Amino acid sequence: MNSKERVMAVLNHQKPDRMPCFGANSTVTYEQMEKAGAYWPEGHDEAEPMAKQAMAAHTVLGFDAVRLPFCQTFEAVALGCIRKPGKIREIEGIPGIEHPPPYKLDDTPVFPADFLSRGYIPELLKAVEFIKKELGDEVLIVGGIIGPFTIAGSLLDSVPILKATFKAPQKIRPFLDVGEKAGTALAKALIDAGADMISCEDMTASPELIHPKTYKAYEMEYQRKQFDAISVPKILHICGNVDPIIEWMGQTGADILSLEPKASAQLARDKCGPEAILMGGVDTATTLFMKDVATVKQGCEESVADGIQILAPGCAVAPGTPTENLLAMVDVAKAH
Amino acid sequence: MKVLDDFSNIFKRYDLDLEVTGEARTVSQDSAMQEIAQFVVDGDDDGILPVVKKALESKSPIDIINDALIAGMNEVSRLWDEGIYFLPQVILSSDAMNVGIAECEAKMGKAMDRKSKVVTHTAEGDIHDIGQVIVNALLNANGFEVVNLGADVPVEKVVAACKEHRPVMVTGTALMTTTMTAFPKIGHQLKAAGLNIPFICGGGAVCEEYVTSYELGVWGKEASQAPGMAEDATSGESWESMRDKWNG
Repeated sequence: MNSKERVMAVLNHQKPDRMPCFGANSTVTYEQMEKAGAYWPEGHDEAEPMAKQAMAAHTVLGFDAVRLPFCQTFEAVALGCIRKPGKIREIEGIPGIEHPPPYKLDDTPVFPADFLSRGYIPELLKAVEFIKKELGDEVLIVGGIIGPFTIAGSLLDSVPILKATFKAPQKIRPFLDVGEKAGTALAKALIDAGADMISCEDMTASPELIHPKTYKAYEMEYQRKQFDAISVPKILHICGNVDPIIEWMGQTGADILSLEPKASAQLARDKCGPEAILMGGVDTATTLFMKDVATVKQGCEESVADGIQILAPGCAVAPGTPTENLLAMVDVAKAH
Repeated sequence: MKVLDDFSNIFKRYDLDLEVTGEARTVSQDSAMQEIAQFVVDGDDDGILPVVKKALESKSPIDIINDALIAGMNEVSRLWDEGIYFLPQVILSSDAMNVGIAECEAKMGKAMDRKSKVVTHTAEGDIHDIGQVIVNALLNANGFEVVNLGADVPVEKVVAACKEHRPVMVTGTALMTTTMTAFPKIGHQLKAAGLNIPFICGGGAVCEEYVTSYELGVWGKEASQAPGMAEDATSGESWESMRDKWNG
């Protein structure tokens, strides 16, 4: 099986030749940049270096899919946020969003008609086309979008939106609506450009930030609407311990649920049933970045024993992560 | 607030039934004090002001701070520790407490006495100050003066704030591995400046091995440990002895 067939086998609930391994979130590292000859900050805003860095996941690591982009600012910037460069002192990092945010809770957010031609989105779409030409049909291309609640959080800032979940939850709806439209529009454009799968990251929807009831009563319906509108397989990634909401994550229409190791894969299986495909592996900060090959392998084996079907870094890979630790994940996948 | 010695409850907070239920306990037998505490527990920063004003007609501001506002916030801390409350509730309760404290301080004509000063910050490049928000709320509720430097704070600014305010300890939060690299620099510069204070570092990307690899560093596993650590620092414990106690 080639990489794409391997992943599709899992999605179709057939037995792959071995377990697939790839990231639901960014997998770019400084060492891969050296090997790909493409660096940050260009990789965040220019198509060709972006494509080369994404492809390193396959060409350098041997992952079964490549995933782009590498930050969470594409939709937010197209909606009016200002990107804060990732550079700290001399080191290039991951861009964020500048303060203050563009909106206050009583404002009405706008979804611009020219959304797809704003900010860095055109370069992202070109990068996907570039990868499609280079890798053809052998390797899956995963296009990343940001979940409605997280985009709403970028538009309003995190503390105001968290307060609003209790004080004025109805006022969040217009922001969730714009967030959903933005992610869905980007997903469709990514698919048109050649993406085979969509990965939706929704970090602010985590129970570590919002009440599980807020997820159920508000965010879930927007995720469901979004996934209904996306024609290719979908990954839903929510950071942190998602045990309190995993049952509802399983009802959004996502084909794959991407879990951090602090969430229980066994609970996810119990709550979401045999159809849900579970993706995960080891903690990206405390294990992949900090520890050695043996610890990474042990963590991956534990995740597989817990019911993980696609081996993956638990969240976005820290850019300083050693290549050997990422290769160790592929070694474990090859043994299953 | 009592710091948990046993973390089994935290790990059980999301149990299989998901619906963790529990109610706030009564914190005062005095009905006016209990009413104020309830506004803190409910996180009602709009409704709390009239009841605090009314209580100030017959009660001392310091009693209201200690027996109603801080007592209510301690109850919120307990509900958070037990997984009944979530982050937005802690933020709103902290706001309500602060509205009440400001009113009492206005009546006293001076700021309430605080145990000691703690400087808090989120690392340069990290715009997510959520963990720090909780640390601030819990330190405040436990009677410490918080010098809140906010998010995305450069190394030099942290060091300058410590030189200016002379806190008993300083905290740093980082969610990203790309930003936590500022912490050893802060530890080094504080040490060079003769400020041998514990530097508590925590957050999503931060692990014990990393924090204990540089001078002054003490790893903060949970935000709920912050008040206990601040008590230790206030009583003069060194960063080495705090590291022995809280880490390893």
